[in-house]
Amino acid sequence: MLSREEVLKIAKLARLTLTEDEIGFYQKQLTRVLDHIQDLNQVLTNKEAFVQHVPVDAEPFREDVAVPFANHDGLMKNAPAVENNCFLLPAIMEQN
Amino acid sequence: MSLEKYEAVIGLEVHAQLMTASKMFCRCPNQYGSSPNTNVCPVCTGQPGALPVINKKAMELGVRAAIALNCEIHPESVFARKNYFYPDLPKGYQISQYEKPFCTQGYVVVQLKTGEEKRIGITRIHFEEDAGKSNHEAYGTLVNLNRAGVPLCEIVSEPDMRTAHEAGQYLRALHSILRYADICDGNMEEGNFRCDANISVRPIGTEKFGTKVELKNINSFKFVEKAIEYEVQRQVFAIENGEKIIQQTRSWNSAKNVTEVMREKEQAHDYRYFPEPDLPKLVFSSSWLDKIKKEMPELPQQTSARFKAAFDLSDYDASVLTSSKELAKYFESVVSHSKNGKASANWVMNELLGRLNAVGKEIDLSPVSSTQLAELIAKIDSGEISGKIAKTVFEEMFATSKDASSIIKDKGLVQISDPAALENVIRKVIESNPSQLAEYKAGKVKLLGFFVGQAMKETKGQANPALLNELVKKFLDS
Repeated sequence: MLSREEVLKIAKLARLTLTEDEIGFYQKQLTRVLDHIQDLNQVLTNKEAFVQHVPVDAEPFREDVAVPFANHDGLMKNAPAVENNCFLLPAIMEQN
Repeated sequence: MSLEKYEAVIGLEVHAQLMTASKMFCRCPNQYGSSPNTNVCPVCTGQPGALPVINKKAMELGVRAAIALNCEIHPESVFARKNYFYPDLPKGYQISQYEKPFCTQGYVVVQLKTGEEKRIGITRIHFEEDAGKSNHEAYGTLVNLNRAGVPLCEIVSEPDMRTAHEAGQYLRALHSILRYADICDGNMEEGNFRCDANISVRPIGTEKFGTKVELKNINSFKFVEKAIEYEVQRQVFAIENGEKIIQQTRSWNSAKNVTEVMREKEQAHDYRYFPEPDLPKLVFSSSWLDKIKKEMPELPQQTSARFKAAFDLSDYDASVLTSSKELAKYFESVVSHSKNGKASANWVMNELLGRLNAVGKEIDLSPVSSTQLAELIAKIDSGEISGKIAKTVFEEMFATSKDASSIIKDKGLVQISDPAALENVIRKVIESNPSQLAEYKAGKVKLLGFFVGQAMKETKGQANPALLNELVKKFLDS
């Protein structure tokens, strides 16, 4: 079982504030996720498995040519808020 | 405080932006100063489903850096995801390299002020993408992703440096090499070459490292040295006071000349690195590596050796003149026009660099062009002006950017090499100093210098010194 401290640390890394109930909930849920990964570890013994889908002789590089993205406006419209062409987010404080 | 009982252990991490036309994993322009969020696309803004494709030129520049820094290049390396949450990192992770960087174990040889050389080890160089920029305003945080995905090489040194001076020299050497080889433009103000320093102190004679403090983003050579000096003193002072050094990240406050705490140091495993599943293993073929080796531009040490051999310069002179690519180019241009290597070196180092330093300008903003300086040197060599007058002319050139010939003409500074004109002056000087003449005649021949000096003064320094000397002697002895 994941400890309460471990859950709080993961929450901190994800910038989440958890209620007491949620701490207990994630303790159980994250433990189940980790257990599942343990199970997978027994199956996937080949460490290189993650790149197996890439053909060995494929040219993996792109030539260095700059091409601006064509649908720039569409991309900016995806943002919930824009100010002075910048993505506007809730104020971020330096975390201590 | 007993600073001398301690030694500092310093390692530097440098982030150098690579001089590519496009970003590391997408085709957006790699361009500083564009209006916010113009160089963005689905890949560098982290849109779902967008996939990265590796920029070949970025790989080439990284390999060039590895060669220039004497590293062992690994034909196979792996990109990794470094996970952390911050708004300037839209994907929630940075593509970097972790367990398998593309090169390790290099070194740089740096010149110390004592005249000694020191070899600073390089642990590794790895590729990674830059993050965007965030501006914190009271009403919110403004994020500009133009820089997100710009290719970087992170160059990690061994903890081989013991003083702020050594760290400064290492950084200068690295900066110069990267610029020579056209890997990074080195612009520190634009953040294209950034430095973090890891610093700890330990009692001299002990092996064990002290607790290290990380200094973040110091953006000039001078600040790096000042920040390290301050930090070393702070740590020694704390230890001497019985305090414990806390592992933390600090930043340099250049207004107050102190380092300040930034945030708790996140442990490496907090980043939860894992191999980037969207990219294949990075494989360099030996033929491609050979091609890059063959096409390597000249490096500072090679330029320095060439200057020493061609222009008969000392180690020191050659190292100064090759300290930046621009300066080396300037010097070569001066020599090619003046045809006098030694004089060109002296003029560039003693007169030009001194003045540029005084006004805080780099060589590329020199008010005197290389051809203008060459013309001045040629005029000394041809006897048109004396070395002394040349200094006056140069001062004027530096102030006004005018050519030497026009200044000489306007101010009537041409050297007087006409014996008849000089003889008149000499006669006058001898007549007005009868007692010195008597002493000279009585055997005090050292007074020759006095007469030459007086005559030179009369001509406002314009007399041809060799000719003047000869004529004065002739007059006195007649």
